Amino acid sequence: MGGITERIEIFCFAASYTVALLLAIAAPWLRSRYRATVEQGFVIAGLVAHTLYLVSRTAHGGTTPLSSSFDWYLVAAWVLVAFYLYIKWQHPRFSLDVFVLPVVLVLIAVATFLTDREPFPVDRASLWWGVFHGAFLLAGTVAVLVGFLSGIMYLIQSNRMKHKRPPTQGLQLPSLEWLQRINTRAIILSMLMLALGLLSGSVLNLVNHGGDTTTVPWSDPVIWSSAITLVWLSVAFGFATFYKPARQGRKVAYLTLTSCAFLVFSLGVGLFFTEHRGSSNNKPAPEVDSQQQGQAPVAPEETYIADRFASGGGSA
Amino acid sequence: MKLQMVGCGHHHAPVQVRERLAFNPQQTEEALKQLRGRFPGSEVVLLSTCNRVELYTASEEEHARPSHHDVAEFLAEFHHLPVGDFFDDLLERTGEDTVRHLFTVAASLDSMVVGEPQILSQVKQAYQLASELQSTGPLTHHVFQSALKVARRVANETSINERRVSIPSVAVADFARNIFDTFNDKRVLVIGAGEMGEETIRYLREEGAEDIVVLNRNPSRAMELAEKFGGHTAPWSALHDELVAADVVVSTTGASEPIVRLDDFRKIAPRRFQRPLFILDLAIPRDFAPEIENELNVYLYSIDDLQETCRLNQNQRDRELPAAISIVEEETERFMANWWHRSTGPIIERLKQGWERPKEDELRRLLNKLPELDERSQNEIRISFDRLVNKLLHPPMTSLRDEAKHGTPHGLLEALTRLFHLKE
Repeated sequence: MGGITERIEIFCFAASYTVALLLAIAAPWLRSRYRATVEQGFVIAGLVAHTLYLVSRTAHGGTTPLSSSFDWYLVAAWVLVAFYLYIKWQHPRFSLDVFVLPVVLVLIAVATFLTDREPFPVDRASLWWGVFHGAFLLAGTVAVLVGFLSGIMYLIQSNRMKHKRPPTQGLQLPSLEWLQRINTRAIILSMLMLALGLLSGSVLNLVNHGGDTTTVPWSDPVIWSSAITLVWLSVAFGFATFYKPARQGRKVAYLTLTSCAFLVFSLGVGLFFTEHRGSSNNKPAPEVDSQQQGQAPVAPEETYIADRFASGGGSA
Repeated sequence: MKLQMVGCGHHHAPVQVRERLAFNPQQTEEALKQLRGRFPGSEVVLLSTCNRVELYTASEEEHARPSHHDVAEFLAEFHHLPVGDFFDDLLERTGEDTVRHLFTVAASLDSMVVGEPQILSQVKQAYQLASELQSTGPLTHHVFQSALKVARRVANETSINERRVSIPSVAVADFARNIFDTFNDKRVLVIGAGEMGEETIRYLREEGAEDIVVLNRNPSRAMELAEKFGGHTAPWSALHDELVAADVVVSTTGASEPIVRLDDFRKIAPRRFQRPLFILDLAIPRDFAPEIENELNVYLYSIDDLQETCRLNQNQRDRELPAAISIVEEETERFMANWWHRSTGPIIERLKQGWERPKEDELRRLLNKLPELDERSQNEIRISFDRLVNKLLHPPMTSLRDEAKHGTPHGLLEALTRLFHLKE
């Protein structure tokens, strides 16, 4: 078993998802009773390989699944596929595949660009805060992506209904009511998760700096961009909760699409700045004799929140 | 195979004949019992819908099943009708044609509205009832179970029954269901009491709609319609208030001018807080001003919009028809080949047994003469004998299988029986 898991590469599950996506795109022309089954088979096979790959990395690397940018994006893709399969199981007729699988492939592609990034600097004391921080940011990001996808589907479906076009063969979208419900839940969940992510990130910094708030890099652009995204999500949440017409129809879809734009902005800022910081960090760091100083070892120029956000968790 | 169908359908018999020959569920039960009593050696399934009355009979022996005339007499007696009133409208199919006909019916290719889904459950119910009353047998089991499989295959591999072609069904299935996820928590407002509206409510009820309000200038007609569907009525003066509360509107009045203009709607809209509103304007002239469709979260459909979708769906079905027919043909051919091959089974079995005995006798004689052979050598000899017999049987069995693709190979079976002295 160990041998098999070691041989699984990103290509295996990425190829599985790609074949499933091609089968989904071909649905209007390829009418066979086996198409949908084969397609789902590829998604499930991809998810199994994806899971084994992550498990293998955790087992052999001795790290948590969210310990690097690379892992973080792969786990986000995994959660999205698992969520897709759950919805597909509940609503087999919905054609969500053509929307979800491209996003999954983009997340995997971004992960492959980040294979050289160093793991997050986490010592034993901050390990659990690091896991909480990464997990909350991950959940928030996936919620924003789900909201984005349901928003796109809402606008397509709404446009089709306005123009009185019957459903396209092989492309059955969910009802507007269902999509609106998912949109609203995505806004609430993403706001809560990202707020918790930011909070746990702050605690993480304090833990690693022995409670010294002056060393936390509050002016870091990554933190600022993430904070702006959180502010937007809070506004969207308030808008959708307290302004009655905003709970209905296309307004909710626009809110989720804008949330995704903020997320992409935040991720982009994160990737850009950590790359630059990474290049400056490549200079030989001065050796710190922590035992002499009587402190826990601390990585040089630590910016925990910023690094996490920049990792792609940078959605907050 | 002695399989036959005698009956009438919408292609050949007028509705006046079909309705007189139709059986309700109790009558179907009674008819099956009577037919079993009258023709004990025959298997019987009776399919009665509003578009067809068909009696399927099957038996191993030709004389055991009712003839065309027997069925006509039975129908006349059962319904107390003169035979002459419907005899010319009765249709008969036998053997392979019966199989093809049943497959076509079950797949909804012979329906008045091709692709309508009800016929499959009607065929299933007819078969189940006959099975419960023990009027089915191996022949009818085989052909009806195959028919249900063929219908499912047609449904899976073509979109012939996915496309609705009537205005109310298109309105609900192709549009309303794409706006709302559930209907049991939606308010349905019916304005007017036209036939089209009534049919639309029926579809909405099937989807789970419970909260139905009927508004009509004539309150008694509104009351009648509301009672029929378990809804309630509201006075005509409450139209605007009801529009505020409604999620689905079905309008079918005979008004000569729109009953809701854009200005009226804009006064109502703020009270709705932009909740989605699905309006089916099935009236001619239209009841809702067409500009209302541009309002936010309003989905307004006129009869022309729906007719266009019906036409597109009908075209789609027509395009799917050749594929569906070829599935039926392919399955009929497969069914018949299997069936004919099964008819050669007893001869093949006797042929095998006929070769088995001499093989065993010769093997025993040889092994008795060579007692010095060890067990391994004895086994080798046994295997050789088996291989020899199989090789000798192979050519006649292949010929039988090939011949059975085109019908029961009576000549070949007779020849084999005589050549190898195969006895019952």
